[in-house]
Amino acid sequence: MNARSTESVGPDAASPRVDGRRQRSERTKQLIVEAYLALLRENPSIPTATQIADRAGYSVRSVFEKFPDLLALRIAATDHAIAIGTTQAAPRYVEADRMTRIRSQVETRAETCETWLPLWRAVNANQGESVELKMRIRLMREAIRQRLELMYRPELEALKDPMRRSTMVALEVLTDFESWGRMREFYGLSIEESCAVWIRAIDRLLPKVPGTR
Amino acid sequence: MNSPPDSDGGSVRVDGRRLRSERTRQLIIEAYMALVRESSQVPTAVQIAERAGYSVRSIFERFPDMHALRVAVTDHAIAEGRNQGVLRDVDSDRMTRIRSHVEQRGHGCERWLPLWRVLATQNEESPELKKRIRMIRDLVRLRLELMFQPELTGTAEPLRRHTVIALETLTDFENWGRMREFYGLDFEQAALVWIRAIDQLLPPTPKPS
Repeated sequence: MNARSTESVGPDAASPRVDGRRQRSERTKQLIVEAYLALLRENPSIPTATQIADRAGYSVRSVFEKFPDLLALRIAATDHAIAIGTTQAAPRYVEADRMTRIRSQVETRAETCETWLPLWRAVNANQGESVELKMRIRLMREAIRQRLELMYRPELEALKDPMRRSTMVALEVLTDFESWGRMREFYGLSIEESCAVWIRAIDRLLPKVPGTR
Repeated sequence: MNSPPDSDGGSVRVDGRRLRSERTRQLIIEAYMALVRESSQVPTAVQIAERAGYSVRSIFERFPDMHALRVAVTDHAIAEGRNQGVLRDVDSDRMTRIRSHVEQRGHGCERWLPLWRVLATQNEESPELKKRIRMIRDLVRLRLELMFQPELTGTAEPLRRHTVIALETLTDFENWGRMREFYGLDFEQAALVWIRAIDQLLPPTPKPS
């Protein structure tokens, strides 16, 4: 009876245990990723496994139990950033007038650059031969390009190729992470001043379309 | 009596040695640059020595460490870049100046982008490299200000400064690399993107009085 009841109860009781373990494991992974990102924001040098473990409050062994190597951790951090970035940077004012759209796009992009530039640099500097990181860099660039196309559809639709493509490329390279970093670090501009540079430049790069706001 | 010929002979010997040493330094620097262009990676001392045709020891006789070699390579690149990038068409019409500037900058980026990438990823811990990166950016900015003086002179601040910053960030090494590698544009197509964008970003050219 006891044995039977244990058998029948066993799987039900094991599930919450397994789920609890999985949740704890996921939480540990999450804390390790967050520690890695926090260290990158404080210091542009790539953090070591020891530094990451110290910051997350785990052992180095725990780090490597959750991630086979530091590349896997970088990939996880990048995926985490893409997920958060996509949520935070939802398109706004897509149907608004030209200047509202430009301001909105610049503000959203500035916030993204301000938050994720250190990770962007780390991923780029360490992509080496990693197909996974290269793919994610391409994915992020594609997302930036699609956002520009969405926000400036009325102006871009008024252009024919190769002028349309040329304008898109100019907009994308101008509003790159590193361009933002240069304005902030090299030229010492405030966030507002940097936004003003981008707003003015985008306004000049986009054609004026009669009949649009 | 014997002293003058000895001292003359000594000078020649010392000069010859110095010349050979300089030549070795130069070949090591050139080997470093050639390796960076081929692989876009920071070369090791062994690779540099093999390429230059010297021993690893020879490298460290000329440069106390790899960082000193990187600094020397950067100085060499700055000097070469300045020689090759002589200003042209400064007094020409707007479109000639834009085309001339883009053509030179495009060629400069083609030649120096791999080294720029290596330096940019290695500069965090080095004030010497940081200083040189700043110097290179200042040179790029100064050139923009010279080439587009007619358009920029009459522009009030902060618009003038903002325009220069937009032009400088647009025509950065990495942005050239992105057009060529990510977008797959050829030299002419990439140059055309810059030509159009600079023309749009610049204020109107004042009419001659």
